[in-house]
Amino acid sequence: MSTLTLPRLALSAEFRTIVQRLLAVLALCIVLSVLSGAFLTVGNLVNVLRQAALIFLLASGLTLVILTAGLDLSIGANVGLSACLAGSVIQATGSPLLGAAVGLGSGCAIGLGNGLLVTVLRLPPFIATYGMLWVVHGLTYWFMAGATIHGFPPAFRALGSGYWLSVPIPVYLMFAFLAVGIGFARYTTWGQEIYAIGANPVAARLSGIPVNRRLVLVYTVSGAMAGLASLIFLARLNSAEGDIGEPLTLPAIAAVLIGGTSLFGGVGTVSGTLVGALILTLVLNGMNLLAIDANWQPLVTGVIVILAVSLDVLTHRGGSASR
Amino acid sequence: MLVVLGAGFASSSTGFLDGANLANIGMQSTILLLLALPMTLIMLTEGIDLSMGAVLTLACVVLAAIAVKTGSVTLALAGALALGAAFGFANGALVAWLGLPPFVVTLGTLGIASGLALVTTGAQSITGVGDDVVYFYAGKLAGIPVPLVLGAAAYLAMHGLLYHTRFGTYVFALGGNREALRLAGVRVNAYLIGVYVLGGAMAGFAALLLTARMSAAHPTAAIGMEFDAIAAVAIGGTSFEKGNGWLFGTVLGVLLVGVLRNGLNLLAVPSSLQVAAIGVLIIAALVIESFKNT
Amino acid sequence: MTAVAAAVGPAHGGEQAAPLFELRGITKSFPGVRALDAVSLEIRAGEVHVLLGENGAGKSSLMKVLCGAYLADQGEFFHRGEPVAIRSPADARTLGIAVIFQEFSLVPYLSVAQNIFLGREPRGKIPGSVDHKRMHARARELLDRLGLEVDTRALVHTLGVAQQQLVEIAKALSQEARILVLDEPTAALSERETERLFSIIQRLQSQGVAMIYISHRLAEVFRVGGRITVLRDGRKVGSLLPASTTPDELVSMMVGRKVDTSYARRYCESPGEVVLEVKGMGAVNGVSGVDLVVRAGEIVGLSGLVGSGRTEVARALFGADRVTAGEVRLLNRSREGGPDRAVRSGMALVPEKRKQEGLALIRSVADNILLASLKQIFPRGWFSPAKGIGVASERIRQLRIATPGPRQMVQFLSGGNQQKVVVAKWLSADAKLIIFDEPTLGIDVGAKEEIFALIDQLVQRGAAVLMISSELSEVVKVCDRAYVMRDKRVVGELARAELSETNLLRLAMHDA
Repeated sequence: MSTLTLPRLALSAEFRTIVQRLLAVLALCIVLSVLSGAFLTVGNLVNVLRQAALIFLLASGLTLVILTAGLDLSIGANVGLSACLAGSVIQATGSPLLGAAVGLGSGCAIGLGNGLLVTVLRLPPFIATYGMLWVVHGLTYWFMAGATIHGFPPAFRALGSGYWLSVPIPVYLMFAFLAVGIGFARYTTWGQEIYAIGANPVAARLSGIPVNRRLVLVYTVSGAMAGLASLIFLARLNSAEGDIGEPLTLPAIAAVLIGGTSLFGGVGTVSGTLVGALILTLVLNGMNLLAIDANWQPLVTGVIVILAVSLDVLTHRGGSASR
Repeated sequence: MLVVLGAGFASSSTGFLDGANLANIGMQSTILLLLALPMTLIMLTEGIDLSMGAVLTLACVVLAAIAVKTGSVTLALAGALALGAAFGFANGALVAWLGLPPFVVTLGTLGIASGLALVTTGAQSITGVGDDVVYFYAGKLAGIPVPLVLGAAAYLAMHGLLYHTRFGTYVFALGGNREALRLAGVRVNAYLIGVYVLGGAMAGFAALLLTARMSAAHPTAAIGMEFDAIAAVAIGGTSFEKGNGWLFGTVLGVLLVGVLRNGLNLLAVPSSLQVAAIGVLIIAALVIESFKNT
Repeated sequence: MTAVAAAVGPAHGGEQAAPLFELRGITKSFPGVRALDAVSLEIRAGEVHVLLGENGAGKSSLMKVLCGAYLADQGEFFHRGEPVAIRSPADARTLGIAVIFQEFSLVPYLSVAQNIFLGREPRGKIPGSVDHKRMHARARELLDRLGLEVDTRALVHTLGVAQQQLVEIAKALSQEARILVLDEPTAALSERETERLFSIIQRLQSQGVAMIYISHRLAEVFRVGGRITVLRDGRKVGSLLPASTTPDELVSMMVGRKVDTSYARRYCESPGEVVLEVKGMGAVNGVSGVDLVVRAGEIVGLSGLVGSGRTEVARALFGADRVTAGEVRLLNRSREGGPDRAVRSGMALVPEKRKQEGLALIRSVADNILLASLKQIFPRGWFSPAKGIGVASERIRQLRIATPGPRQMVQFLSGGNQQKVVVAKWLSADAKLIIFDEPTLGIDVGAKEEIFALIDQLVQRGAAVLMISSELSEVVKVCDRAYVMRDKRVVGELARAELSETNLLRLAMHDA
């Protein structure tokens, strides 16, 4: 009975959300190309993609966390610490692989910590990750002692600034993890369970889903992706200092929210986050092209976050009680 | 909690117990106190204000700019207060009318305020604020440093507000049982917004002290201070839920944070690690809270 | 029993000219059900008027109409003979009507006095300030009136439930309440606290306050009641004086109902192996001394009044609340751990609050149906949406769930169909023991029949069912056997032959 009806039902709410956002991307592109001659150049577009890729990679793990009606405020600090640790290891040992392992490991560890705070100590996610944010931040500064690391082997730097077939490597990673993300969220039982946990954690638990184990999983993944993002960031900037991750948290959250994932949980997609990252990057890129002071960017991002949350509340408030 | 404070004092090193040093701690803590006091009220309503540090910074910029341009402290203070109140109103309105989660709203306003601070100053400090302003930090009133006087006055005012007025009673109710308050016919939204406006206004007031202390306004001056404020409130015994709190506890919390930072400074511990330590303290305080409640 | 009538307040002796308050012909309907049908009630000053009835008989609806939370469709109110209108809670308050519900509306970290005067604090000289002296003095007066010796400065969260209740009463009195409605006031009280409440009730009676007392505990009813009104199916069955009736008569008044013969079940003649065996179980949620046995092919009922602990038993068996004593064996294996292990061992729970606990409302019908059996259907972890829709569609067809399609969001289905989705969820999980908690709550008659037929199918296929229900007729009609709970313990078991509404209610109500 189902194969004939599939095309008609394919216009599900999720699909529609993504299509709407893609249209926004298109609209932005048109507007920007009109406003600035420099927009449609290959160099600029490649830049946009690269930026969006970085934000997406960071936000992809975050998407899973927000799907469970949680939040991870520590990802920026996570990127900072992981990058600094990885950078130091690379400098000390000359081995990019070892550095990458350390960076990823650090990201995972922080994510795991968050997960345990939320499940074992039952701290509300925003408090747990907020506290973790400052702890990690502090550790980073202490570790770096105000110094800056720079100069990494070219093999490593390729990760961030290299190209393959004239497309930046981070973009390949972006698509790769898009596939992984979609695969996980839509095509595994774990993914289904995560959506259920976000939609109604009580019902999920009473249906036999091991809620705590899945929560620890998503926070660890969020941390791991932060670790990955830190490597790319490190490679691209070719340097590391204490605060490099700081400005990334808000854009990542913005990307997830713009992409249609609801803070209330149970609704959203990884693809949406990708589109959200694109939209955000385009807006910021536009601001750059129009020579607007870079200091406005956090402000604009903040406004976008508030707008996205308002839209979220208006659309999804009916489902659950106050959060 | 008092035990923790005592332990904090005990972990001192040479130079810590020096009179001048202690006085210094007191002075520097006043600014934090001005933030932590209204933060206590906000947290009593089960809310939080992550934007306080950024608003404080922006208020400093506004205050310094007005002071330099007009030379009038009163005008500058008025400007700072107005700015703070405006941000507070924005925060409160979004939380009360739209029902948005406080941490998200104030996270957004944090970004906006810090962005505005950077943009309007072009990342440059504003200097030359004049002695009228500096007086508020360096001067003395009847032999007592002005900040301490202001801090004490602020505390007394807050205490009166929280424990002797309807506003204060309703603050507890907003966190403890908001429905009961609504059923009692009270305009819940108005009071909720009021709490955040108070927070913003106090940040504006604190700008006076901070600018006076630095004799200038740096566009990144107080970023992150809300963290210390939240820590002070949490350590002081105000829980994040259910309207359970203790205003004097916040004072102790502020002192503890101040002592901790000072002590760690003297031990040449970098400020970053201090932050980490404070973070651990918050988590510890929360864990103790949750164990007490189960 | 009848001798105890002497403890009743003095005011019920003489019939007064016009009662303090009167409700006449109150009718209230909701979509699909008539909650109140021309109910009339007389409330006299200084009298305790008991309201009796089963769940769903209309007691709480009547009270909600009285306090202005509901607007009656038809009917009139009279205050001392003069017609009045109650259109909002404010109207009710002006008339001096106050209701003490079971969930108190108190602020935990404010003092007793502050709670009593919340929103109406006495003003001090400085605008906005509170005159603490006056507030505490007046609070002290009120508490003394009630004989409560608690310090007015004490924070409410430090008080016990009984004391908090008295604070609520004080709050009502501070609003000049002349009619006080007490909804199951002794549900959470100990014997001693109950005694104290009774003496306070007497004191209030002597002060002329009228009280409406809702309770299931017959012994109490005879003790404090000056007049008893029994409701059934939204209608008033009768009003009597305690002296002229017996508990048995009251029970039969509450119960007597036309038996619905449209559904006939073939009862289980030869039950199979023991699926669930519970001995002396106790849990953190308050139940204790629970003994149960359920065999394959049986539908065993778990009856009892609201608050008797049935849902708690279900949660403890399922692992949602921790078991602290006794033994639970499922298929002869000790059952431990949380719900995830319960499900893996073959247990299923269809919760009472299906929207909050049984379904993810914003997810689709298919998502919900698959939720408990993801591991069985997709053993290697790869989820195929197409296959999932296929399995779900099959279930939809089997159970005749009315939905535009498997992708429809569950929140748009009717109550009955939502319940079917929950059942479908467990069908796919191949459960051996299914616990149903109020399976037909909020479901219309036609869907009820279907649910029963479903449950019957389940046991025909060898599963065992434990069914919690507050509808006595349901239990009698559907179950092979039933256990009865009272005050968080299992107090009796009724075999098929003994299974009747009267017996169930008598066991449940602490019949003295």
